[in-house]
Amino acid sequence: MGSSMIIGQYVPGNSFIHRIDPRTKITIIFFFVLIVFFANSVMSYGLLTLFAVGSAASTRIPARYLIKGLLPVWFLIVFTFILHLFVTKEGEVLFSIFSFDFYTGGIIQGLAISLRFFLLILVTSLLTLTTTPIEITDAIEGMLGPLKKIRFPVHELALMMSISLRFIPTLMQETEKISKAQASRGVDFRTGSFKDRIKAVVPLLVPLFVSAFKRAEELAMAMEARGYQGGEGRTKLRELSIGKLDIYTYILFILVIIGLILTRS
Amino acid sequence: MKKKKFTALDLTMGSLFVALTAVGANITSIAPFMVIGGVPITLQTFIAILAGIVLGSRLGAFSMFVYMVLGLAGAPIFAQFKGGAGVMLSPTFGFIVSFILLAYVAGKMVEAKRSFPMYVSAALVGMVINYIVGTNWMYAAYLFWFEAPEGLTYQMVWAWMAVPLPKDIILSVLAGYVGYRLETGALAHTKFRKQQQAV
Repeated sequence: MGSSMIIGQYVPGNSFIHRIDPRTKITIIFFFVLIVFFANSVMSYGLLTLFAVGSAASTRIPARYLIKGLLPVWFLIVFTFILHLFVTKEGEVLFSIFSFDFYTGGIIQGLAISLRFFLLILVTSLLTLTTTPIEITDAIEGMLGPLKKIRFPVHELALMMSISLRFIPTLMQETEKISKAQASRGVDFRTGSFKDRIKAVVPLLVPLFVSAFKRAEELAMAMEARGYQGGEGRTKLRELSIGKLDIYTYILFILVIIGLILTRS
Repeated sequence: MKKKKFTALDLTMGSLFVALTAVGANITSIAPFMVIGGVPITLQTFIAILAGIVLGSRLGAFSMFVYMVLGLAGAPIFAQFKGGAGVMLSPTFGFIVSFILLAYVAGKMVEAKRSFPMYVSAALVGMVINYIVGTNWMYAAYLFWFEAPEGLTYQMVWAWMAVPLPKDIILSVLAGYVGYRLETGALAHTKFRKQQQAV
């Protein structure tokens, strides 16, 4: 549990996509999410599917990780497809079951929307499968840099993300410990009436919060003792850099956009 | 006040609340905790309300923003240990977005007056914001991502949301109560509050 929290969904690897700069990945995914909505022909959907599936394949991440990312929305995709099957009445009648007519329009629209959603989920999950949360944090700090001008606390955002990542496993253990300690004093979390179980929240959460406050205070003191002064003038352990790989990626993506414009109907 | 930079203590307190929200979202799998009628209870909204109450409007909202961004960046901190940029497309993402606003409003309310009735009303207002933002987002998501046909009406979505409502009302009142107890029992004497009041 502890280590999986820090790396999250990340699957280590050394593929092309693993190595490109996280800022490049975020930019491309952002634009991909926009252009998916412009596809409206078989060819244009085919092109985007090729791009998405090709990218996924090139990461060499085992398919089961990709499928795991799709699981939560699988139900929605099927549900939408069925909904369109029954409700959209366009085109010709394809076949009838129990005097209910299924139209070609419904099937086509259902398929198109399901495919679009599948592409969106696949591409966005590639970001988190090939990039660690720490790398994404660095990328966010870099990309949001200009917002510092309007006093948006970009450095603070990145720092808080890193501190939280560090403390999530600690607090999870702490919760477990407190719940055991309270159970040994006779607090019953599992049985009893609804009212009793709601009441059992208090002896679990109050000590958890108090210990969290204490940790926060100690960490802040440690930071100040080491001269933490905010973001200005701080140097970084990991430096991001845009290289040749990133330029190739952008060129490839621009080609996909041009292809999409050409294949739209 | 607005232009004041976050201090080191603000940052660590905010971060701990991000971690606490992650714990609250998955409390059933960490502690032998309430599973009512087979449905695991999450304390996400509960902690988001407390973030506003304890941290105050500005820092509370910011820490919920960090929670959202961190989850999208791939840390499995949302309910059922979900995480990753794909969550943005899930219809229930609006509930996570609503935490930012509800922490801000709940924070503003208790900053105006620190009394027990105020804590409970701040918590209830927070819950209402959670429902309004989340449900409308869910409806919009169905329309936008799935181009849901007329079969799915706005009333249907709200009827669906009425089921967990009683449980959430009770949890919100409890959040107000826990917030008040923390305030009088632990927070009032900490450096964190003194620092906030000094500003």
